Amino acid sequence: MDSFLEEEEDEEAPTVVVAGKRRRRSHPAAQAALQPPLHLPFPPLQPVSSNEHKLNFKKSKEACLSYIQDALLQKQWKRAAEFLTCYVESLEKDYSREHIGPSEMIWRIGTEILWHHSQSSMKEFNCFMEQMKTLGVKRYLKVCLEHVFHLLCNGQIDEAYQNLSLAESWRFGEQTAIQDKEMKLIQAYRGLLDYYSWSKQKNILLEQGEDGFSDLAVEQEMHGYFRKAAVNLKEIIKIPGVWDIFVKCYVDLLEFYGDHNEARQVLNEYAYNSKFPANPNAHVYLYQFLKRQREPKKSLISALKILHDIVPSHELMIDFNTMLQKSKKRKKRRLGLEVIFAALDYAGWKENAKAWSCLARQVKQIVVSEKHLDWIKQEWSSRKDWWPAFHFSRYLAKRNWQEDKSLSYEKALVAGILLGKGCKYFKYVSHRGCKAQLKRFRMLKKFVNRHNLVYLKISGPPDSSVQP
Amino acid sequence: MEFPAALFPSYFGVGPPQEEGGPAPVAGWGEHGQVLEGGSGRRQVQPAFVPRRGATGERWEAADAAVVPLLLPRAGCWIPSPAPQDILYRSGLCRKLRAGKSRATLDFARQLGHFFVDHPEDAFGSLGRLLHKNFHLGNSKLQRPARSSTIRMTALVEDIDRLEARRGCPRQHLASRLRWFSHLCRDWLFEVPLGLLADCLHEELMQQWSNLLFDDSLTGGALAWLPPEDGGTPVGCLVHPGGQAMNHLYFQDVVLEELPRTRGSPAQFELSGRVQQVAAARVDGQDFVGVRSDYHCGVWRVLGKRGAAPTPLQVIRTDVPASSLTVSPHVPGELSVCTQSGTVYLWSVETGLQQLRHDPQTMFFRDHSPWRWSDFTAHPRVLSCADRTGLQCLDARAPKRCHFDLFKVGKEAGCQQGERVVLPMYLGRAHPSQYLVTTQFSVYVLDERLPLVPVLKWAHMMKAPPLFAHLMPGKPGRSHKVLLGASRTQELLLLQYRGGSQSACQLAGTPQKLHNIAGCLQHLPTQLPHHHHLLQQRLTAPAAGLAATLQEDGPRKSMLIFQLSEAGDVFCQRLTHKAAQPPAPPSRDEATTAPGSSPLFEAPASSPQGLGGEKEEEEEQTFYLSNLEVIINDDEEEDMGTPAPLEEAELVQEPCTNPQPSPAVPSPATALRYRRWLRALSRVCKEPPRHTWPFSLSQRRLFTRRDLEGPPGPSNLQRQMRQWLRQTMEEGGRIQHWETLALQPPPLPQTLEPAGGPDPLSARLTAAWAGDWEQWWEERTSFSVAQRRQALRERRRQQKRAQGRRSLSASFTSSLTYQSELSELSDTGPSLFSPGRPPILSQEGSPPAGSPPVGSPATSAAPDEALLSSQSLRCRGIPKERRKTLRDYLSVWAECPPEPPEPPGSQASELCFPSSQSQLSASQPLRKRPRMGF
Repeated sequence: MDSFLEEEEDEEAPTVVVAGKRRRRSHPAAQAALQPPLHLPFPPLQPVSSNEHKLNFKKSKEACLSYIQDALLQKQWKRAAEFLTCYVESLEKDYSREHIGPSEMIWRIGTEILWHHSQSSMKEFNCFMEQMKTLGVKRYLKVCLEHVFHLLCNGQIDEAYQNLSLAESWRFGEQTAIQDKEMKLIQAYRGLLDYYSWSKQKNILLEQGEDGFSDLAVEQEMHGYFRKAAVNLKEIIKIPGVWDIFVKCYVDLLEFYGDHNEARQVLNEYAYNSKFPANPNAHVYLYQFLKRQREPKKSLISALKILHDIVPSHELMIDFNTMLQKSKKRKKRRLGLEVIFAALDYAGWKENAKAWSCLARQVKQIVVSEKHLDWIKQEWSSRKDWWPAFHFSRYLAKRNWQEDKSLSYEKALVAGILLGKGCKYFKYVSHRGCKAQLKRFRMLKKFVNRHNLVYLKISGPPDSSVQP
Repeated sequence: MEFPAALFPSYFGVGPPQEEGGPAPVAGWGEHGQVLEGGSGRRQVQPAFVPRRGATGERWEAADAAVVPLLLPRAGCWIPSPAPQDILYRSGLCRKLRAGKSRATLDFARQLGHFFVDHPEDAFGSLGRLLHKNFHLGNSKLQRPARSSTIRMTALVEDIDRLEARRGCPRQHLASRLRWFSHLCRDWLFEVPLGLLADCLHEELMQQWSNLLFDDSLTGGALAWLPPEDGGTPVGCLVHPGGQAMNHLYFQDVVLEELPRTRGSPAQFELSGRVQQVAAARVDGQDFVGVRSDYHCGVWRVLGKRGAAPTPLQVIRTDVPASSLTVSPHVPGELSVCTQSGTVYLWSVETGLQQLRHDPQTMFFRDHSPWRWSDFTAHPRVLSCADRTGLQCLDARAPKRCHFDLFKVGKEAGCQQGERVVLPMYLGRAHPSQYLVTTQFSVYVLDERLPLVPVLKWAHMMKAPPLFAHLMPGKPGRSHKVLLGASRTQELLLLQYRGGSQSACQLAGTPQKLHNIAGCLQHLPTQLPHHHHLLQQRLTAPAAGLAATLQEDGPRKSMLIFQLSEAGDVFCQRLTHKAAQPPAPPSRDEATTAPGSSPLFEAPASSPQGLGGEKEEEEEQTFYLSNLEVIINDDEEEDMGTPAPLEEAELVQEPCTNPQPSPAVPSPATALRYRRWLRALSRVCKEPPRHTWPFSLSQRRLFTRRDLEGPPGPSNLQRQMRQWLRQTMEEGGRIQHWETLALQPPPLPQTLEPAGGPDPLSARLTAAWAGDWEQWWEERTSFSVAQRRQALRERRRQQKRAQGRRSLSASFTSSLTYQSELSELSDTGPSLFSPGRPPILSQEGSPPAGSPPVGSPATSAAPDEALLSSQSLRCRGIPKERRKTLRDYLSVWAECPPEPPEPPGSQASELCFPSSQSQLSASQPLRKRPRMGF
């Protein structure tokens, strides 16, 4: 890993030559400073002499480009368009070896302008895109793809499909790696559109089925769509990446035709292949599939356990916790407590009443049964130094009370158990609750008072000083 | 904490970045990226697709034509940091070599030369003292006995001068004499061994240069806004550094009105280092403000109620410069600190520092930069830490074991080669698990729940890396706004995005460029060239911080953006929200352009024309792009496009149909702000550095030696003056007021009088050069006629009284008219030099009596005897018949008791003349003999 970056840095650094210094020693610090920390454009310098300024096409090109850029960033589409018409001439002498050449610039700028220009129409846009496709071979597929995206966003699904088919049949010499990827994407999007056609046909058939008719032609057409879609979708989801929609559609197809094994395999691959990014959705899809298949609880739990390991703050953790709490096994219930504690560590769950009620219920259960207090103790030991400030401050008590009474009830219960009846949060909420003559708050107060000793057991190791 | 049900498709690869790098000027335009079926949950007949980029966003429009100063400049002039031209080698040849390739040459020799000239004692002290008898610098031949032990250096110096003239020639053949000399003394002449000195200097130069290229110490920005409490009065608090060394911290209350204004005087703290970063977060209704300077970090607490004084809580000192400081948005009084040695601390005000990591190496691959950063994440115990290569998250409870990679510069995020992390920021207020990472090319939004794969990526196309970012979370259903700011170029970009929980992240609307500080230059009142230059320098100072706030008064929504410059100025601008009006008329778009048409991100140094003064060569060239004419200024910076060429370009292109969108004019209130700010600025910078002030000329060039030869016997006064001058010189002091002399004349009657006299133009110019042109003008216009008459009458009376006392010769009739002429002539306008100013002493050290300052009454009381010699009068062109009159008059004047003298003439040119001269020229009847004198 190190070597490639060193190489790359050698090229990128603007070389700094020291004039006048005749004895050059290799000074480590100086050497290090030779490399600017970032790859940056050279800062502009004051000109020194004017003799080298010639009639400079490049210069005027750059100036024109900067005007366009300026206009775009100020949403002056008309002005930008006018400058762009001039900039088109830069294509004539396109010797630049830059990362983005003028033809790509024209495509990008032109597209942006046509998206926003008040007088542009879809027809013009299509026309422009067709021209742009011919401008650069290397970019053909990308431009096609972007064109398709635009058509899709404007609801022109059929045109998009045609474009995709055209692009798919395009061949030009050997494909680069990027072109290969783009081609795969084009195929995948075509597969996706095929899938939508399939599901449309399917809906028609289902409706007809209700009426008692059945149209063989429609059915065959549907199967045709299925085949086309399946082939293309199957391809892309083999490559590492985030393919949520493609996977969903493919699994839907497979499930419809009853190929559950294949579907399960696809989902397993998508979720557990280490070459793929750790996408929570992959696990969610698997879980949902398993649920649809009415798989036993055990496999559901193991799917969610993995999700819990990668994303402890996922919204499915509530389901997971409920599932675990219902379990008869101690280990599972223990895990349930862990899951809900972990979820509530996250800022996003701070005000989630459901999660707090889950925790409150389980904690209450444990306290009442007086068994497994050590579970709470273990969970609490890594949190006792920051949960009070994070969850149970007086400020939060006030705010929770104002905004969500039931949330403050659940939180107060947890706070009362974990921190004792002297805790600010509990005191504030129970005081307010009793004042407002709410019965459950009075019950809460009673409950906490009765179990006040629990917090002594929870906080701190045995025979040690008590947490204030 | 929902996770989007489906994400935009993307490839995922592992490894080094593959895309070729390089700043791409338009890389962010024209791409949707990917699409996703994002219609409402119901299955419709046709699926509805949403793009990753290109969805519509909110419309925000600038409310004013340019930024408005918020604070008046504080006393203490700002010292600009070095510019590239200060440390780079400037020569045509080098430029040629450099052409096309970015290649800079540090001007090492010049800096070393500066050191030798500025600190000769340090450079050659002891040997110089030992040898100075043996070096002869004169022109004269050496005397015989001395010749054996002394060498003449004159030729050597001439050689060096010649060398200087040929600077820039890489193949300069050193004169053999020079080479011989340097060969001979290189080893022993220098106080500090030359090699060592050169190394140190070189290192320093490299440091300066890399700072110029990119100064990352400012990362994060030194400006923070503490918003008002919900529902409270709209008074927020702006925390910003100030002072000459930026080592004062101010907490300034600001009232959010149409034009925000300050309220009361700020709470002020003096710190022991330059404030590099100010970070703030609100937890439990209290604001915690962290302040980072190089070796100290401090934390303050500000209670939600405005008006409560901020309380300093704790300060820590680091051995290695700290490079980041962030305040926890979760737990009160918690911060995270990073030092350049790669140590990350969790700093709790209650429990102290906890070291989470110490690793001088970078995380994913080797990078030279010692810059490190850390911030908080959705989990209060998990901190992110970043270096140039990526971000990792550490669990503070078990930092060694529990960590994961959040972002990696590599194929995972689709980075380019050479891309590096510039600023990470936790976007917790928008979405608890979102993170912003900017690089010099792109901006990424990451989701902690899906590490390594950015949920959003966009090429920001900024010219300088975005060092500052500010988030304004949108309410549910609305977009989140992110401001990106660059330092050197002052660029400011507004982005909008939405999604993250129910739907996938999407960039909304087009990015928008906002006004930068330098843009207000063209809306300021016209300035004199040198003022304009100073002003420009001040306004184009690199940005040092960014803060913003959203404000909602019922249906009216607006955004206030504050920008801090390195000079310590805070400017603000307001954007107003426009309700969606689907096909917005383009004319409206165009009319609301930002400060004129100053094209995007023009380098701040560039400016409209008008400062030709210090540009050595200002040539304009016209290039043709057939139907587009672009006029390019010579300056490389300026060819990015100054307003002027742009206008031309537009005009040429379409003369009538599309007129240049006229720069919106600042509102009257804004204009008033500008004027007040300018006035305060000129007041603050009134006392310019002493060494730049005296515009003195060498007298040697104006007079022959004979002219300067003093009179045989100096007068009493002269003697006194000389003695005083000598004494002052011995003491190394300076002469503030000649008036302090014993023979102080009675004070003048009020002589503030409009320049009805001989030359209003020169008086005005003098005033202008001295910097109070405005004052002069006011005085000129406002002085009432009655007052003038009164003053005139008063003076006449005094003159009569004085004349009455004299016994005058027969020729006095002529000299009487002369006298009145004199007084009239010398009354040229207001006294231009306030008595507080030090007198101007010519550097050449003219005879003391000849150089009393203009404006000092002693001058006129002591006529120079030299004048009286007929020879000198003749050589001044005074006709024979008048010489006697003049002599008589002057002698009378010399003898008689000092009368209330008139302030002498005030032509600028006279400033440097010996007073006798100036008096003479003033006293001559110019109207009669216009060619007389000089």
